[in-house]
Amino acid sequence: MKPFLNVILLDYIIRIRSYSFLIILYITTAISYTFVPEPNANYSTIRIGEHVGYYNSAWFGYVTAIMTSIFLSLLGFYLVNNSIKKDLNTKVGQIIASTKIKNFTYLLSKTLSNFLVLLTIVFIIFVMSLVLFFLYNDGFDFELAQFIYPYIIITIPSVFFIAVLGVVFEVLLGKYSIIQNIMFFFMFSFLLLYSPQKEIEYAYDLLGSKIVIHQMEETVRSILPVEKADTDMTIGYVLANTIQAKKFKFNGVEFSLVFMSSRLLWMILGILLIIILSPIFHRFTVREYSLPKKRTKSRHIEHTPKEIILSTLPIPHTKLSMLPLIKTEILLLIRKGSLWLWLINGTGIVLLTTLNIKTAHQFILPILWFLQVHRLSDITSKEIQNHTFYFISSSFRPLQRVLTSQIIAGCCLMLFLAAPLLFRYAIEMSVLEILSIALGAFLIVSIAIFLGIITKGKKLFEVFFFFVTYANINVIPVVDYFGGTIKNTSHTLIIMCMTIIICSLSFLKRKLEINR
Amino acid sequence: MKLEIKNVSKHYGRKKQALQDFSLTIENGILGLLGPNGAGKSTLMKIIATIHKPTNGIILLNKNNIIKDANYMRGQLGFLPQDFGVYPNLNAFEFLTYIAAIKGVGGNALKTRITELLDGLNLLHAANKPIGSYSGGMKQRVGIAQALLNDPKIIIFDEPTVGLDPEERVRFRNLISDLATSRIVILSSHIVSDIDVIADQVAIMKKGALLAKGDLQYIIKEVTGKIFEVSIDSSRFSDFKHDQFVLSATRSQGSITVRYFSENPVEGSIQKKALLEDAYLHLTKS
Repeated sequence: MKPFLNVILLDYIIRIRSYSFLIILYITTAISYTFVPEPNANYSTIRIGEHVGYYNSAWFGYVTAIMTSIFLSLLGFYLVNNSIKKDLNTKVGQIIASTKIKNFTYLLSKTLSNFLVLLTIVFIIFVMSLVLFFLYNDGFDFELAQFIYPYIIITIPSVFFIAVLGVVFEVLLGKYSIIQNIMFFFMFSFLLLYSPQKEIEYAYDLLGSKIVIHQMEETVRSILPVEKADTDMTIGYVLANTIQAKKFKFNGVEFSLVFMSSRLLWMILGILLIIILSPIFHRFTVREYSLPKKRTKSRHIEHTPKEIILSTLPIPHTKLSMLPLIKTEILLLIRKGSLWLWLINGTGIVLLTTLNIKTAHQFILPILWFLQVHRLSDITSKEIQNHTFYFISSSFRPLQRVLTSQIIAGCCLMLFLAAPLLFRYAIEMSVLEILSIALGAFLIVSIAIFLGIITKGKKLFEVFFFFVTYANINVIPVVDYFGGTIKNTSHTLIIMCMTIIICSLSFLKRKLEINR
Repeated sequence: MKLEIKNVSKHYGRKKQALQDFSLTIENGILGLLGPNGAGKSTLMKIIATIHKPTNGIILLNKNNIIKDANYMRGQLGFLPQDFGVYPNLNAFEFLTYIAAIKGVGGNALKTRITELLDGLNLLHAANKPIGSYSGGMKQRVGIAQALLNDPKIIIFDEPTVGLDPEERVRFRNLISDLATSRIVILSSHIVSDIDVIADQVAIMKKGALLAKGDLQYIIKEVTGKIFEVSIDSSRFSDFKHDQFVLSATRSQGSITVRYFSENPVEGSIQKKALLEDAYLHLTKS
């Protein structure tokens, strides 16, 4: 038992020691600070019609617990679904495969280590909810139970199952991270849209938030006359002044035994899934992820090499053109991923050409761009991942030439994909739309580059891009970076300024790295 | 060409000191850099290659301070790092073209030079296959090729022969041997015989400091006449090791032939010709 616990603990330590995890913790702390808005804030996170709850213990505990359950189910998956891939890429997997460890033990240890990582984030949000309660205290008593119950009953089972899903997706679709992302995207959307009708159906809600939402709606209904019963729940960041909202007293939820059992059953189901998948786990017999399947290993064949005298070889001239760099960066972007992804891209391009221009711009373009997430996410960090960093940093003017060519290559890819839409807008002479799309491409590439440079990894950008795309599909204007919903010059100018700032920060950080 | 390393120190944090007040002057020829793990060889090479900056000290290349003007060095540098990687989705030709662009070289001669280098390094037959499918030795040879792309005047090879089979090692030695006349070649290796055969000068490092520098004869002089071999019973080996400076031992049928350094050899010992490896072991272990 002790070696098993050591494996979990060490795996957990390795992951929390990473720089990107530190950044994610910062971001989590910042986001959790906004879960319950400051009393004078101009936004709300959970609102039932025109009502928000009094800032009592139950409101803080339940709101932060369900926000964490939703937020961490989405972010958490992207955070933990590369734990097996990491062992494969670092070749530690080959050592693991040669040990006595059973597939089930290994997968369970990965699941539990995923769970611990997510639990760390849950703990931070939990502490933040306590801090917020005392910060915004409305004169209500502090009741610790109202904080603990929702986290134990709602949040923890959700994040445990997400930890399981991280491993399940890796076992089933380990090689195809983009399919994992897309499948999880649909699965999460389904989970959010799921609407239980009967008492028993709350048990099927993995996120566990629906029962709390129902209770909140019921509470508001009970204080409103029937004809004014606007109890539509909005979850997420909605612009609305909190202090002007009507208040209702939320006293928490009395969870039924059936519901509580269902939460435990979700966790048991998770372990069952691991047991079922253990026999089909590849145990690191797969080839390296970066290589397509069909390529054969180059063998040393009988060949008499030419004896060359280096001093007699032709000497290349100094040529500081960036074109070969841009060409190779584009080649690297294009070759990343399988051929079938280009078929999907092709379908997206056809849809951009044929669909109604508004739909194409608002929905197809962000999805098509999001499908390039794996290409953009390591546009700058690939040097670290492939150990080519030394070549770059000992090269001639690396900052001005290499980084610029990476930005240009990324923009070329995004603009190529958006070309049909740009062409359609060009015919309509819609300059603002063309500018918005071009700046959108530039901004998202700049963010990919900046996050790659500061985290030296790709995870943070992947999570960020997923959130932004999800929000854009749900037509949340504040994250509209490509002019899909907001069409005015001031918004375009803001995007332009953001792009310039992020690009400048990227150059600055890279310069510091090179000068170090 | 003249490279002067003057009082260079490199600290990582407060405790770890990779280089301590290190000074060395290198002129045209091949300098072999020897030292145990953690001696500071790679740190020194990365500082010369302008990847790291020293905490103290300066480095002059033809009187130009490369700490301040890194591009002066970069324009004429060929560097093979110890732990380099490649982009697996590019083939050797594409990868070398990319590195050439990074180094700021091109023109009509580039294609010929890449082809010739690939041929000389026995990679031409695989030049159009993705590097991800190459063996470790083939990747190492791609690394060697990229270091020589721009006709560098300063070439730094950090463990260049790792992963190469004996035949390829010989080919590598032959390849760089004609560079020494008009260039500075700095070569580090754990394989003393590699340095022994090709280096004009040898520098031995330990714990970030220079222990010795000179030509082979100068380095070996320290131990000349003091290297002996004796055959002893294997049961006596432990005591022998305790009393003498053992350099190597070969086991054969119950007895052990021990090669050792001593000013007072034991009875029955035969004096042997001193080698670079003997001098290296004596300097770094004593």
